Amino acid sequence: MYLGAFETEEACRAWKEEYELEFPVIADGDGTLFRAFTNGWVPWSVLVGPDGKVVFSENEFDESGFSNAIRQMYEAPSAEKRMTRRRGSRAPSTVILGGGTGGLVAARELRRRLPSSHRIVLVDRSRDHVYQPSLLWQIVGQRRPDQYRRPLSRLERKGIEFRNDEVEEIDLESKRVRTASGDLDYDSLVVSLGAQLAPETVDGFEQMAYNLYDPQGCAQIHSALEEFSGGTIGILITAMPYKCPAAPYEAAFLTESFIRKKGIRRDVEIHLYTPEHMPMPVAPPALGNSIVELLSARGIHYHPLFTFKELRPETREVVSSGGRSDRVDLLLGIPPHQAPAVVRSSPLLGVSGFIHVDPRTLRTEHEGVFAIGDVTTIKLPNGKALPKAGSFAHSEAKVVAERIADEVLGKRSDASFEGKGHCWIELGDGKAGFAGGDFYAEPDPRLTLRRPGRTLHWGKVAFEKWWLHHWF
Amino acid sequence: MKVVEGLSKGIAAGSTVSVAELGLPVKGTNGLLLVFWKST
Repeated sequence: MYLGAFETEEACRAWKEEYELEFPVIADGDGTLFRAFTNGWVPWSVLVGPDGKVVFSENEFDESGFSNAIRQMYEAPSAEKRMTRRRGSRAPSTVILGGGTGGLVAARELRRRLPSSHRIVLVDRSRDHVYQPSLLWQIVGQRRPDQYRRPLSRLERKGIEFRNDEVEEIDLESKRVRTASGDLDYDSLVVSLGAQLAPETVDGFEQMAYNLYDPQGCAQIHSALEEFSGGTIGILITAMPYKCPAAPYEAAFLTESFIRKKGIRRDVEIHLYTPEHMPMPVAPPALGNSIVELLSARGIHYHPLFTFKELRPETREVVSSGGRSDRVDLLLGIPPHQAPAVVRSSPLLGVSGFIHVDPRTLRTEHEGVFAIGDVTTIKLPNGKALPKAGSFAHSEAKVVAERIADEVLGKRSDASFEGKGHCWIELGDGKAGFAGGDFYAEPDPRLTLRRPGRTLHWGKVAFEKWWLHHWF
Repeated sequence: MKVVEGLSKGIAAGSTVSVAELGLPVKGTNGLLLVFWKST
């Protein structure tokens, strides 16, 4: 049942007709139920079980997550979890799924803490680790792929087994991961598979947009910017959530700087479209407002609360659900994000469409299974979700590695993720801003923002170099 | 999108709701999914 917060009966009827809904759409005209059930945000979903108990109450909306929760609500309570014993003489093992930021750090930290008798296996379908922040520099020709990739096989030198393989199933009952080339039994499992990009879910994306979050897409963006002689450039956030909240804004700043240096700034309009009400909405408003001011100072048109509906490649239009349509000559697109298929088809999937974990320990509900990074949803004290960002994956990985190692070594663990994170904001022209702080602070995250400058840009470059050298 | 400022965190999972008292056109007690929306 859909309830229109502060909507009229007429508006509800129109909405139901427009979307051809077959279930009731009711007007909550004075917002009584909205105030009682939500924290002020829409969309907000509440599932109430047959016994009147609230199963979930969330701001995020994900079809797979909902289906999972509804299915589990009607299934019989599961039997007590079996204590699975290690089969035969198998060495104690930790399996890590994903070789991105979280998986890489978890693997290296575990190897540092545990004896060589403890097997550590990292599985990734890609041969390489990609340092994702470098993709933004690639769009303006300041990076090549070989400068930000490292082969995961190098981890073998550090005593970590690397399996270049696709994860096909996570069998939580048997504590086994099924891959294309064989099964891996685990004592501890770290799921760090990230958020998968799903451009195929947007009709016309391939024809009309370049994927800003993909190395190939970034190479195409660079070529397109080199050839661009004038018109409209758009940066489009198609859906929430997306990883790295600053990245679309950084892309706008870098693009504007590039176009300006090319000498065609007067012939170009740059527009940024987002469903957010302000940049980085989880952070304090002062941060978002400062980014809005910077966008304005650079003449970048900012369109918040732009709920994306569709692309029209034949006319090169970006269309909102409110009926607005803008023609865009060069479109940098951020496609919808989702949990990888192997997670979506497993009991790990939460109602948000990602894996829900304990905010401090990063444990899932399943014995021996942790999840970190972009594949997770972590609820903040203010009810919003922790943003998806590498800084958090990095810190979470260290906590999980310490917890697993303490458990293996028979020690009591007090390792805890404290919600601290930071982010550079690349501004082009050799400058960057920086924000960081405590996202677990109550009632709202507490961040400090440093004044933008060249030193911060070089700090971001230095961190890139350190990262690629240190872990490999 | 934020519609109202100053509300609490929303009804918590595990709370109990009397569906009959919500005043909604709901029949039976087989579970209920409420989705709040607002036009922009």
